[in-house]
Amino acid sequence: MDRNHMHPTIERVLGNIEKVMIGKRDVAELSLVALLAEGHVLLEDVPGVGKTMMVRALAKSVGAAFKRIQFTPDLLPSDVTGVSIYNPKEMEFQFRPGPIMGNIILADEINRTSPKTQSALLEGMEESSVTIDGVTHRLEKPFFVMATQNPIEYEGTYPLPEAQLDRFLLKMKMGYPEVSEEMEVLNRAQRIPPIEELEPVIDLAELRELQKEIKEVHVDDTIKRYIVDIANRTRTHSSVYLGASPRGSIALMKAAQAYAFMYGRDYVLPDDIQYLAPAVFVHRIILKSEAKFEGITADEVVERVFARVPVPVQRLVK
Amino acid sequence: MTSHKVQKDLATFLLYVLGFLLLWEWLRPLEQLTDTSNITVFLIFLMLSLLMSFYGVSPLLSGFIKVLYVVYVLHFLYFEGAFFQTSWISPFWEDLIYNFSLMADRDWSSITNLFRSLLFFVLLGLMTYLIQYWLINRRQIFIFLFMTLVYITVLDTFTPYVANGAIVRTVIAGFAVMGILTFYRLLDKEGIKKEVSLSRKWMVPLALLIAVSAGLGFTAPKAEPMWPDPVPFIKSYGQNSGGNGPGIQKIGYGEDDSRLGGPFIGDNGVVFRAEVESRHYWKVETKDTYTGKGWVTSQPEEEFLPFGMGEDIPVSSFIDNNAIETTEETSSVYTFMNYPHVVYPLGVKSIDAPPFITYELETATEKIRTLDGGRPVALDQYKLRFEVPEYSVTGLKSAETNAGVLPDEFLARYTQLPDELPNRVRELALEITQDKTDWFEKARELERYFHRSEYNYDQQDVAVPDEDEDYVDQFLFDTKQGYCDNFSSSMAVMARSIGLPARWVKGYTEGEFQQPTGSGLRLFEVTNNNAHSWVEIYFPEIGWVPFEPTQGFSNNIQFNFDNAGQNTNQAEPEEPKETETPVKPEKTEEKVADESSFSIKEIWESVKAFFADNWKVIGIAVLTGALLILMLYQKRGKWLPHYFVWRFKQTEKDEHFPKAYLILLKELDRYGLKRKNGQTLREYAKYVDSFFSTKEMSRLTSRYEELIYRGVLKEGSWTETKELWENLIKKTIA
Repeated sequence: MDRNHMHPTIERVLGNIEKVMIGKRDVAELSLVALLAEGHVLLEDVPGVGKTMMVRALAKSVGAAFKRIQFTPDLLPSDVTGVSIYNPKEMEFQFRPGPIMGNIILADEINRTSPKTQSALLEGMEESSVTIDGVTHRLEKPFFVMATQNPIEYEGTYPLPEAQLDRFLLKMKMGYPEVSEEMEVLNRAQRIPPIEELEPVIDLAELRELQKEIKEVHVDDTIKRYIVDIANRTRTHSSVYLGASPRGSIALMKAAQAYAFMYGRDYVLPDDIQYLAPAVFVHRIILKSEAKFEGITADEVVERVFARVPVPVQRLVK
Repeated sequence: MTSHKVQKDLATFLLYVLGFLLLWEWLRPLEQLTDTSNITVFLIFLMLSLLMSFYGVSPLLSGFIKVLYVVYVLHFLYFEGAFFQTSWISPFWEDLIYNFSLMADRDWSSITNLFRSLLFFVLLGLMTYLIQYWLINRRQIFIFLFMTLVYITVLDTFTPYVANGAIVRTVIAGFAVMGILTFYRLLDKEGIKKEVSLSRKWMVPLALLIAVSAGLGFTAPKAEPMWPDPVPFIKSYGQNSGGNGPGIQKIGYGEDDSRLGGPFIGDNGVVFRAEVESRHYWKVETKDTYTGKGWVTSQPEEEFLPFGMGEDIPVSSFIDNNAIETTEETSSVYTFMNYPHVVYPLGVKSIDAPPFITYELETATEKIRTLDGGRPVALDQYKLRFEVPEYSVTGLKSAETNAGVLPDEFLARYTQLPDELPNRVRELALEITQDKTDWFEKARELERYFHRSEYNYDQQDVAVPDEDEDYVDQFLFDTKQGYCDNFSSSMAVMARSIGLPARWVKGYTEGEFQQPTGSGLRLFEVTNNNAHSWVEIYFPEIGWVPFEPTQGFSNNIQFNFDNAGQNTNQAEPEEPKETETPVKPEKTEEKVADESSFSIKEIWESVKAFFADNWKVIGIAVLTGALLILMLYQKRGKWLPHYFVWRFKQTEKDEHFPKAYLILLKELDRYGLKRKNGQTLREYAKYVDSFFSTKEMSRLTSRYEELIYRGVLKEGSWTETKELWENLIKKTIA
């Protein structure tokens, strides 16, 4: 995509993030897409590639309260949501908010904790509110969760069930930096970590304004049809046990709106859909066991689907 | 290659059933055409093999079952005793060894039936494997279907096997298989799951389509063949090149008449068309020696009388004298088969054809051969001038008195009969003619004799005489049914038996009336079905007079009875009347027929005739037209973009922008810059731009994107982008 037409505000945010993150512009963009589309992100990668740095930079750039939850097997739901503690001085229970009560939350190694604790977080993500001791606490907007998952260690983990994965707008990988990028990382590591000096470029009000504007991005019927066609193809594909849900279609549309906005357009292109679809669909597709044995991956299925579904080049005739 | 597991669903089962039906079509003719009996055991083997393949029985088990079945069947067919009495095994084994040694010696004809059956089983086993491979792995059956159709149609054409039902069955089963396989191929290609609703969407229309088209084809009227049947031509070619089989069957006009009898096989192949003034028979040759089985020529065939165009043809017919009134007529013949000889009417005088053609008359048979530079050549068309005789009965009656002038040699030649001819034939001839005194009356009486109801005209149920039987005798006394050869041979033999010089004439009847062609001429079409034979009897001073003994035929020969007993000279004034009479009833007949069946038939006839006459011109015109269109299409890269530029240049309207853009996409595609299905316009525009090293396509495309993905057609879109568009489309000019 053409960077020259980037939305100026978003370009500033991305520029700010790039001050600390070397390379990984695409991950930063996608994270921002999820934030702008009011979704959440699942990052799946090995430790030490800069997942935390990315989230912190993002949070700092938009002036949001950053919270981090390190998931461990003995973590309790109340450790996430918060707990009411009896205050003998005031003679009453006082609610002490948990780490979920932030704007941008890094849920590190989410698959390490018990399903009960996972669901406490996932419920918050879905409902934008948490209920503790019968009291419903609204979560402050924007509310953005970036969960990470370590794909290597499976022992003692509780992999997220597919139904839960559906709650994440995007799933992506960080990947290792390039050689030159990694050298630059080493150079910077000798100095004071720049993340501490990072200043916000927009405030939360502005962010909310952007989120509102994104909803106005035009998605033409031809594009909607294209999205549905693709989702349908994943459902009827011979290697697929469970295809993308309608929620997946909605997610793709919303993400595409944010992405189009990011590139300074007020309408969505098939190119946006094609670029985002792997991140949106891959974690929503369950392959048949035969297909897995044959070594087919969900990425390949999505790729094949895109090769076969014709891109709309004419207006829909009604 | 990924191996396909055989799915055990209905559609796959159907595939196997249809595959079995197609294979069955290969076996059906065997029962009729070869001495293979017990087709059922082979069919059961096929079914067994296919079923086991369908249920995915392991190769080891299925192989064992198949071998067991084959051995059991072989035992059942070729050996006595119970299967488990093992005593048959050693002869079986010996037979195998013996046959292997035969194979090593390449002595194929000695291979025993047992071994042949075994080999046939092996072949069928291979075929079932092939069918399974085509149906399940390749998902393609067209080659097999095509081969089946070729096999069936070839058998239908060249053998007695009638494949009418087989063709219908094969086409229906084949189309069903191809339809189902296409569905599977599509599923494989698109990577789509097979679901019941999806299958129904495909299978129901497929079944409907096959049912409707088969029904339509079945009920639709079947046109007669447009081309003459090539088989007789191929066969006659084969005959000419040597190797005559015994004449047990007769197909159309044949050359070999040494063994007559057997059914007459109908054949609509057109031999020639003729434009004539009046109806008459066409002669090809005559034969003079009766062998008891058929006719041959007594004289060597190498004797020829050459003559040229326009010269009198040295054919012996009637002698021009007072007893015969003649009218000169001409007929034009348009040939359809490449026979290097001429068909000619009685009384032929001269022939008119391209000047370089020379002719020779085979004296033994009076066959007129056409030559070009000494080599036999077939004429496309020729004109014959001939005299139509009207025999005076008085002259004929008195002719016998001059019998003495006939040379003995001549008499001997035309009254020849085989010694073995049963005496009852002569007795019958004498009995028939006992009241008659002169040759003409005798001949007429013999001719009339065959019109009795005890004799039947039949082309099918006709006997072939055994070695000790006589062809004529068999017909006259035993079978009493047959076609022209039976009738004419019988009359000729009977006439000879009572001393009348007779010869057997072969040729064609006048054929079927097609249409009047103006100026009193009429067009007849003569097919192989019109092949005919009749008798000529020689009257001294008068010459050869044709007689027509065959039931239901008329040779249109005029006899003048009015002045019988009077002076023959007085016949003259009546002549014109008489010659007109055969023409008149014909014409009225035609008129009545035309009026009663309304003009559609007439139009149809004339259309048919028009096409028949001008098919070459029409064919060339259609071909040129098709070629021209093809050329224009092939070269569309040169002119189509110009046309589009011209068309869109004039308009200022923005609505034309999307149209123009889509046309550009098409033209780029034709140019060779293919856009993949999943390629977005933007990516494609980049690709095109990198190819032409411009930025025009991207600029144009971003405009178009706004239009279709945003739904906004900005004012002036077209006028602003027209130039870009024009530049691009001009680049596609090949």
